[in-house]
Amino acid sequence: MKSIDTVTLDIVKDSLVAIGDEIFYAFAQTSMSPIIYETLDYACGIADADGHLLTQGNGACGFIGMISPMIAEIIEKFGKDTMRPGDVYIINDPFMGGGTHLSDIGMVMPVFYGEEVVAFVGNKAHWGDVGGMAAGSFTTDSTEVFQEGLRFSGIKLVDAGELVQGIADMITYNVRFPVAANGDMWGQIASLRTGYGRINELCDKYGKDVLLESMRRLMDQGEMVALSRLKEMPNGVYESEQYMDDDGNGNLVKIKVKITISDDCFEADFSGSSPQVASPINTGYSALCAGVKVVYMSIVGPNLTINDGIFRTMKITAEKQSVLMCDAPSPTSCYFESMLYALDTVWKALAPVFPEYLGAGHMLSVCAVILTGMHHNSGQPFLIVEPTGGGWGASRGKDGEVGQFCVGDGETYNVPVEMAESRYGIRIDEYSLNTDGKGAGEFRGGSGAVRSYRALTDGQLFSAAFGRNKFPAWGAGGGQDGSYNYFEFYRSDGRVEGPVGIAARIVLNKDDVVRMVTCTGGGYGDPKKRDAVAVAQDVKNGYISKEQAFADYGVEIN
Amino acid sequence: MQIATDIGGTFTDLVVLDEQGNTRTFKGHTTPPNFEQGILDVLAQSGVNPEAISAFVHGTTTVINALTERKGAKTALITTKGFRDILEIARCNRPDLFNLVFAKPKPFVPRYLRLEVSERVTHDGSVLQSLDISDIEKAVEFLKKEQVESVAICFLNSYANDINETAAAKIVTELWPEVFVSTSAQVTREWREYERSSTAVLNAYVGPVSLKYLDNLDAKLTQTGVSSKRYIMQSNGGTTTFNAVKTAPINLVESGPVGGIFGAAVLGQVLGEKNLIAFDVGGTTAKCSLIDSGEVKITTSYRIEQTDRYAGYPIMVPVLDIVEIGNGGGSIAWVDQTQSLKVGPKSAGSLPGPVAYGKGGTHPTTTDACLITGRLSASNFDTPVDISAVESALVEHIGKPLDMDAKEAAVSILRVAEANLFNALRLISVRRGYDPRDFALTAFGGGGPMHAAPLARALGIKKVIIPVAAAVFSAWGMLMTDIRHDYIQTNIGTLDSSSISLWDEQWGKLKQQALAQFADISGELATFAHYLDMRYLGQEHTVKVPVPAPGWDEDTVQNIIDRFHQMHEQSYTFRLDGTPVEIVNLHLTVIGHREKPKLSPIAAQSEPVEASLKDRRMIYFDPEGWVETPVYNRQTLLSGTRLDGPAVIEEKASAALVCPGQSLHVDTYGNLIIETRR
Repeated sequence: MKSIDTVTLDIVKDSLVAIGDEIFYAFAQTSMSPIIYETLDYACGIADADGHLLTQGNGACGFIGMISPMIAEIIEKFGKDTMRPGDVYIINDPFMGGGTHLSDIGMVMPVFYGEEVVAFVGNKAHWGDVGGMAAGSFTTDSTEVFQEGLRFSGIKLVDAGELVQGIADMITYNVRFPVAANGDMWGQIASLRTGYGRINELCDKYGKDVLLESMRRLMDQGEMVALSRLKEMPNGVYESEQYMDDDGNGNLVKIKVKITISDDCFEADFSGSSPQVASPINTGYSALCAGVKVVYMSIVGPNLTINDGIFRTMKITAEKQSVLMCDAPSPTSCYFESMLYALDTVWKALAPVFPEYLGAGHMLSVCAVILTGMHHNSGQPFLIVEPTGGGWGASRGKDGEVGQFCVGDGETYNVPVEMAESRYGIRIDEYSLNTDGKGAGEFRGGSGAVRSYRALTDGQLFSAAFGRNKFPAWGAGGGQDGSYNYFEFYRSDGRVEGPVGIAARIVLNKDDVVRMVTCTGGGYGDPKKRDAVAVAQDVKNGYISKEQAFADYGVEIN
Repeated sequence: MQIATDIGGTFTDLVVLDEQGNTRTFKGHTTPPNFEQGILDVLAQSGVNPEAISAFVHGTTTVINALTERKGAKTALITTKGFRDILEIARCNRPDLFNLVFAKPKPFVPRYLRLEVSERVTHDGSVLQSLDISDIEKAVEFLKKEQVESVAICFLNSYANDINETAAAKIVTELWPEVFVSTSAQVTREWREYERSSTAVLNAYVGPVSLKYLDNLDAKLTQTGVSSKRYIMQSNGGTTTFNAVKTAPINLVESGPVGGIFGAAVLGQVLGEKNLIAFDVGGTTAKCSLIDSGEVKITTSYRIEQTDRYAGYPIMVPVLDIVEIGNGGGSIAWVDQTQSLKVGPKSAGSLPGPVAYGKGGTHPTTTDACLITGRLSASNFDTPVDISAVESALVEHIGKPLDMDAKEAAVSILRVAEANLFNALRLISVRRGYDPRDFALTAFGGGGPMHAAPLARALGIKKVIIPVAAAVFSAWGMLMTDIRHDYIQTNIGTLDSSSISLWDEQWGKLKQQALAQFADISGELATFAHYLDMRYLGQEHTVKVPVPAPGWDEDTVQNIIDRFHQMHEQSYTFRLDGTPVEIVNLHLTVIGHREKPKLSPIAAQSEPVEASLKDRRMIYFDPEGWVETPVYNRQTLLSGTRLDGPAVIEEKASAALVCPGQSLHVDTYGNLIIETRR
């Protein structure tokens, strides 16, 4: 009955994945930060005793594979033999394994069964505020990491089950919203402890050896699938380069990639990309890898459960001190912008090779918004930290999707207008589609969105990073380009400022409006080939104008 | 006598409960698209005298079918200026994370039928701008021209004040009396504009179809001579009258399945079991739901067509909290690209069905695995079974790729299927903060009795209840329901002793609204239950806390807050004493009690158990392996029977398994009670 034993292994393996899900949802339910519970800007994972990722629950795509380098960093620093049951480590250093920006707090817990470490559980979550020069901690004008908040280089937060009060106090007294920070800290710890308990239950039920064998099987299967997919892919070298907007000082930032696909390896080499810059759009190596992994998953098998077995088949290189592999003390609070540009450049290089998995370019940027001020009713301070949805590119056989968050997000939810109006000192004048009609193609790019915030009190501060404000979402397969992301200010006295793509702490007074507009995605295929009935329907629905129907699609609407 | 009818995908079930408490069950065919015909057919088949019927309770799939088959009305949406795209933008989420050519759900109303009007209410309910009547008139004119059949109206912040919405609906109806109109506030008073719009739109979408169905059914029942009151099952586990559901037919979305879950709660009360997990295994899916201290759990975060890779469409009405997985008797077993064995979610359904049905099914299913492992016997199927066809399907699709023979393949399928079911049962219990060992498992549906005992062993559950008529238990459950309406009102505020009078006032408003509606429904005796959806200040997710009737004092408030801390800790493993506690929703449940027949005892066992023995065969148990097991006929196992596992109890269309180490007894009413042997 040897073959039935593999069924046991599969059952244990599925249980591990179920535990990954459980600790993921447990955390969202208890979080105190909208950025976590609405936008699910966090990830939870389980790794084997050597720190290799076994399964990961993701809210945001961009966190893929970030849990294991974080765990590896902790193992490296402390050694497993110094660890005790109940220990929890905290880490958010952008330049260490699993690093992104300081706002993302990582936690790692070794799982003991008896005397032995059998696994690790880890999670990483975006806290609303971790101190630093600006409310919300991540900002668009920092020049050094020291301005961006508290930096934990992997230190013990819980010692054999006891909270290290000194660290907790340091957090409490250095962040702007200590209640939320404490709530999130406990939420993360609770989720790790749940994972710890569940893995122990698995050991009790099936035995430690079966568990360890299942872990190996899980990883081997991941590698096996990736290898078999690689063999089916056309071998070759695929290159692409594009400019990100600019570094905040007017200099364009170049992203360049060379991808080599062979039968047993997927290599991405980013040599030739710009050096690191003095604005917070640099990314560390872990985040760069995460960006590439997203595209890799999309062509290897979007439905696979994530583990390091799959990623054994890939190799990612970049130059030290480049914008994609920056070094301390570079600022990284908007790291996701260069990470997403790197991802997008890989996407663009591979889109012609894998048209069934990759369409035209999308809005790309997180279009992150930070707004602080006083609530008009309660007089209490409020803080908005949120992404903005935009248009996605069309692909072979399908129009682009409208008003979606960028690829780096995922199971991420917008904040409902009704909640925002109740919670924040704003009224929302408009939340609709940006029907600029761009992205013409046989399949049309999806519309971006328009979201307008009206300040209801004086002295509110608005910061935002809307990347892709100089170069539009690219079309593919003969489709036209989409449009740009931007925002503009409508002052109460009638003045209009903008459009701009990047801003730091712009003052909004009562009845000033900031109107945020995200781009329409790129089109796919020759627009002249689009079905005339579909074009007529597009005009009726107001996605495109009559003039565009004629000029771009060659269809006259009467 | 009272009768219940439950329309399923293949069969329409009828359960008759007479004044003496005797139950009889009948099965007829479901007759789409004229579902009422199937009801009349099975009623005729039963031979019940229509005039002797004192109550007619009905569960229907009309609403869910209209939604999933996209056969509702041509629907428009009228909304606040600046917000017509809320329905299309939805929540911006992308559950299919790594699929970069994903498709998000298409809205039920295309953009050109989503019209904006000038009006505005703020978050605290004050009217910033009153409704522009000419905008509504223009909208009606356009929508008439477009031959729209149904209109949803959802304005921003109408949960706080629906004055503009109501005014708009009034004008639309005046100008256009024949169109179906639904305001969002008629259906839900909770915040979140996308979810509320979606709910209003789907309500409008199914409105005309549902009304037509209810009217037809009503007329035909009258023609047939049924003059009793008619009740219809709602998704909240209670019934209402045909008339009362007509403004919000979307409340029927889970009309069918909830009957069994509510039935499990009622049966539990009779048997003195207050903590139960209801477990319903059908052909395509398995559903489970938790009953805590006799109470079914309600949620409003229901979505249709949602999967872990697809966002689906929200319907923000009270629905029993059910975990459903694609793992039923007809679920197909397959080997994935990593050489792992999987069961479901694809199902062979009832046609072609499992290989054993001999109707053309070629892929092995859980039912086929049950046959080969001895849990089911070939002689208990409706039609003759070709065992060799089943075996070769197992070998072909599972055995060959995994290097197994037919028996090993069947055992493996069962193990994987039960591991899936095990995880679903954990989701509804452990993940909600409950220990399954504190619960009894009530198993029904065609497949429930077959899996319940081994799953109970795996979960440490000590008691399994397999009710009489387990296969049609949903319909039976409907007979046990009361009239139930839930009124949920979003109203954010802190709870402390200074705010008591404010909350009293809010409860008063809610109660008034409930009584006004209830007076129309029936003069039945109504009771009220009060709940608060509460959270820590700054948190999003809430905990539903049962609270005393209004008239609170400082102590009550303290007790409510204590209870919240305690329930938060139970659900989420930690508490934050000292953090302010906020109310998000008031939730008032009104129950109108219906007269219900008592259950009647069955005859006592006089023959020895051996008289019911029909067979002995080898059956696979995990972990014991193959064990020679006696098979009994359920029909002749009467009250008081006791026997030890392993055993199989067969009845028409179902079989119950008793594992080694468990014992079984038949209770006074004929329910099978399986317990862990001490």
